[in-house]
Amino acid sequence: MDKIVPFSEAGSVKPEQAIGNITTDSHELEVASQWKLIWWKFRRHKVAMAGGLVVLAYYIVALFANFFAPVHFETYQETYVYAPPQQLHFFRDGQFFPHVLGYSFERDPESFKKTWTINEEVVIPVSFFYHGEPYMLWGLIPSDLHLIGTANPEAPFFLLGADKSGRDLFSRIIFSSQISLTVGLVGVTLSLLLGIIIGGISGLIGGPLDNGIQRLIEILISIPTLPLWLALAAIVPLDWTPLQVYLMITVILSLIGWTGLARVVRSKFLSLREEDFILAARLDGVPQGRMIFNHMIPSFLSHIIATVTLAIPGMILGETALSFLGLGLRPPVVSWGVMLQETQKVVVLATYPWLLYPAVAIIVVVLALNFLGDGLRDAADPY
Amino acid sequence: MWKYILRRTLYMFFTVWVITLISFAIIQLPPGDYVTNLMNQMTRVSGVTLTPEYEAQLREQYGLNEPIYVQYFKWMSNIILKGKFGDSFVYRPPRDAVELIAERLPVTFTLSFFSLLLIWVIALPIGIYSAVRQYSVGDYIATFLGFIGLAVPNFLLALICMFITYKYFGQAMIGLFSADIVDAPWSWEKFVDLLQHLWIPVVVIGLGGTAGLIRTMRANLLDELKKPYVETARAKGLSELKLLFKYPVRHAMNPFVSTIGWILPGLVAGEVVVAIVLNLPTSGPVLYDALRNQDQFVAAGFILVLSVLTVIGTFLSDILLAVLDPRIRLE
Amino acid sequence: MSEKLIEIKDLKIHFFTDEGVVRAVDGLDLTIEKGKTLCLVGESGCGKSVACRALLQIVRSPGKIVSGEILYNHRLGNGTEEIVDIAKLAPTGRQVRSIRGKEISMIFQEPMTSLSPMYTVGNQIIENIQLHNKMPDKAARELAISLLGQVGIPKPDRLVDEYPFRLSGGMRQRAMIAMALSCNPTLLIADEPTTALDVTTQANILDLMKNLQAKYDMSLLFITHDLGVVAEIADDVAVMYLGKIVEKSDVNTIFNAPKHPYTQALLNSIPKITMKREELDPIKGMVPNPYRRPGGCPFHPRCPKAMPECQTVEPAVTKLGENHFVQCLLYENLPGKPALVAENRELSGVVND
Repeated sequence: MDKIVPFSEAGSVKPEQAIGNITTDSHELEVASQWKLIWWKFRRHKVAMAGGLVVLAYYIVALFANFFAPVHFETYQETYVYAPPQQLHFFRDGQFFPHVLGYSFERDPESFKKTWTINEEVVIPVSFFYHGEPYMLWGLIPSDLHLIGTANPEAPFFLLGADKSGRDLFSRIIFSSQISLTVGLVGVTLSLLLGIIIGGISGLIGGPLDNGIQRLIEILISIPTLPLWLALAAIVPLDWTPLQVYLMITVILSLIGWTGLARVVRSKFLSLREEDFILAARLDGVPQGRMIFNHMIPSFLSHIIATVTLAIPGMILGETALSFLGLGLRPPVVSWGVMLQETQKVVVLATYPWLLYPAVAIIVVVLALNFLGDGLRDAADPY
Repeated sequence: MWKYILRRTLYMFFTVWVITLISFAIIQLPPGDYVTNLMNQMTRVSGVTLTPEYEAQLREQYGLNEPIYVQYFKWMSNIILKGKFGDSFVYRPPRDAVELIAERLPVTFTLSFFSLLLIWVIALPIGIYSAVRQYSVGDYIATFLGFIGLAVPNFLLALICMFITYKYFGQAMIGLFSADIVDAPWSWEKFVDLLQHLWIPVVVIGLGGTAGLIRTMRANLLDELKKPYVETARAKGLSELKLLFKYPVRHAMNPFVSTIGWILPGLVAGEVVVAIVLNLPTSGPVLYDALRNQDQFVAAGFILVLSVLTVIGTFLSDILLAVLDPRIRLE
Repeated sequence: MSEKLIEIKDLKIHFFTDEGVVRAVDGLDLTIEKGKTLCLVGESGCGKSVACRALLQIVRSPGKIVSGEILYNHRLGNGTEEIVDIAKLAPTGRQVRSIRGKEISMIFQEPMTSLSPMYTVGNQIIENIQLHNKMPDKAARELAISLLGQVGIPKPDRLVDEYPFRLSGGMRQRAMIAMALSCNPTLLIADEPTTALDVTTQANILDLMKNLQAKYDMSLLFITHDLGVVAEIADDVAVMYLGKIVEKSDVNTIFNAPKHPYTQALLNSIPKITMKREELDPIKGMVPNPYRRPGGCPFHPRCPKAMPECQTVEPAVTKLGENHFVQCLLYENLPGKPALVAENRELSGVVND
């Protein structure tokens, strides 16, 4: 809500002899640094704060995926292909006893396919902070501590169900976050670099070069993104390693994304050029380079952060779409998009609807990023 | 205004030309070409490797051995002068890409058009309501739904819709017609069937754009509502409703109209993915296949046509803006 | 003796914001007489714009009229008059809308942005005409052209089809005036109409308004902070400070024999060409924070003649002459000058939600 000083007359700027300023009794307000002001304004945005916490939680989970996930994303149990989700129960017979219920199956006599049902008789105890499957955290630190799971490696533990190879969906979703979230970050960083350089040149130098770049950007924007992505992604050779594919995908995504950032940077530079404080700095003899980095960039850094935050969801969604179509990341790399590939056939989807759970993870993080970005953008102009 | 239109027209032609360059370049990017692809396929399937001479012969047959700019020039002149985009390498008997495009384009166009309509019909009233009743329950709900629309990828929405219709109506609304009606002659039933299938893609494609537009309309209208001319109108004795639509809404519409320009690429893009998921006979699946098979002319042709459509759409929205806004009309 | 057109009694308009309640207008008493020009003078933030908007019930949210009366002498078709309390009318209701633009009109400060650029000048004037009269389009258009001519616009038959952004500031303000007068209002409220214009145009507009007022025999309520303008057109002057009228009298008395210390200080602070001194003489102190109003007389922290009682006692309205009212403890309880209207008002202070 706007702070209204209700009876200030609009536009009345004639200097008067008897006018004074509205006093503030808050001395803090006068000396607060820019970042403090931004933080205060941001804090009032409850939804944005919530978004920020969610995003933070996601990145923590991604960082410690091995710990949060019961098993590795490749671990599979053939016997439990397409097993439905097991609900986590905390009490049994009135006592605190976390457990899940096991399965029994019937085999269809014609297709030999198994259909699973939950069996009340089979009780599988669930442990927290237990020692399970060993792993190397970040490839460096050996550990086997897991947040949640079953002590018995033979017992089925599928909180969100199993996929077509008998792999645990819950674990795979957690590990996917590593890929999907970092694609967003890397892609956005590349976009940012491109955007700042090109936008900066455009805004600072101006003139025909600026015009030319702007026209180019407008042209790029009018090409529908997905066909462009598809085309670029189709170029990636089949024999590249998953890592190379990953990098290529992020490059492709960022190639399209830089235009938005470039425009923001350019318009900021353009308006800044006319600002009085820049003029003052120039008159003081500040060299060009220092002017850009010490004076200009800090003044719109908050805007950049907000724009970047709002660009990340686009990247995540882009990678998801590409992987979903089979043109992005490929197995054995796992991302949410890759996981959703299995749902393309409606029959599969209808019979095993839990395969859609990765979508929930995507929606939540994208929402959170949008809220966060919105809040940052509102707060970016504390004055 | 005519100067404005002239400028926009010239600019549109220039944009289209650059797009042809880009489309062509994209297709040339993958290492190897259709012949390489063919050879690899043959080797994989039958274990036979063909001689380099045969390879060269194939290349010449397909016209793939000439320098790039010659290929480009030939391609463009064929399009402009003969209306031919080049033969598809995949379809047998060989068909010119333009046939494939012409087959699929009307549906693409129809879908995009209806989605745009839907977006407008939904976003406009909700955006207005949100701005006028700021911070009300309705506003929060609308904003929230708007966010959801932004966060949910449209192919996901397509999947969910498919799932729901399959579970509750017994058949997935895949494709444009049900299996038993698709070959039947046009009738009322066929039309109804079409509509039944059409609503999913239109809703799915439209919803993403709706969210953005609601927020734009809301923001624009909030700005306009604070301006002095609204007060003047009120002081004349106009009723609130009449005043709302004659003045601030009318003003807020201008930027709204120009947003059509940047929605269109999104619509077409969204339509591509959704079409693949829902197996609709539009550009999406064909483009997808063409890219995977490096069916050069088909892929380039589709990208070119889709982009040009978008550019035209943007151009039209710019013209519309000039018509609506006297300030531009009279400059 | 002039008749009263509008009598404002103890009007209070409060703004309910997140940070607290701001008493923009805090007990305003004012009478607007028929056929005369009343200038409402005050610094930015004293509440004059808010007060005049109350006369049309267009006070902006979160402002609300919380108490008081705005008694309007409404002339009916059959020649009789009835008194309507505008303060009690619903802001979106039919009754107040029939008064707006027809019986009481208003023109605003920024001619640049007060007219919509999407519609022609003629369209906007005709809209006002047809809103309050059943008139066919052709007749309405003729009337609009004639009005434009009356406000001094050259080639009005051409200009009626022009868009506002093609006109200069002065022309736009004239068009606004034409629009406001289109239904022969009994009162024209002008909220700083010349502040945004250059001095020459300002003089022309003021002349125009004086002529029109005489011609249409209407009352003019002119809001300004420019004492030069006041000297030019006022019959009566009311001086406002922090939501109250501190002094009201005819223009000569105000300029030559002001009684309230604030009025005196204002007049003192204007640099005069005959002054020998080098320095300006501003009013000491600053306009207080609207959320923390001083107790007692609102002016006391800056008043050169403040007495100890001024900190706690709110002065009532004192009648010093036939057309001279002042709110100051200096003049209360003087022998032979009885105080007017003295209910117990609570001491002002901030009311926090």
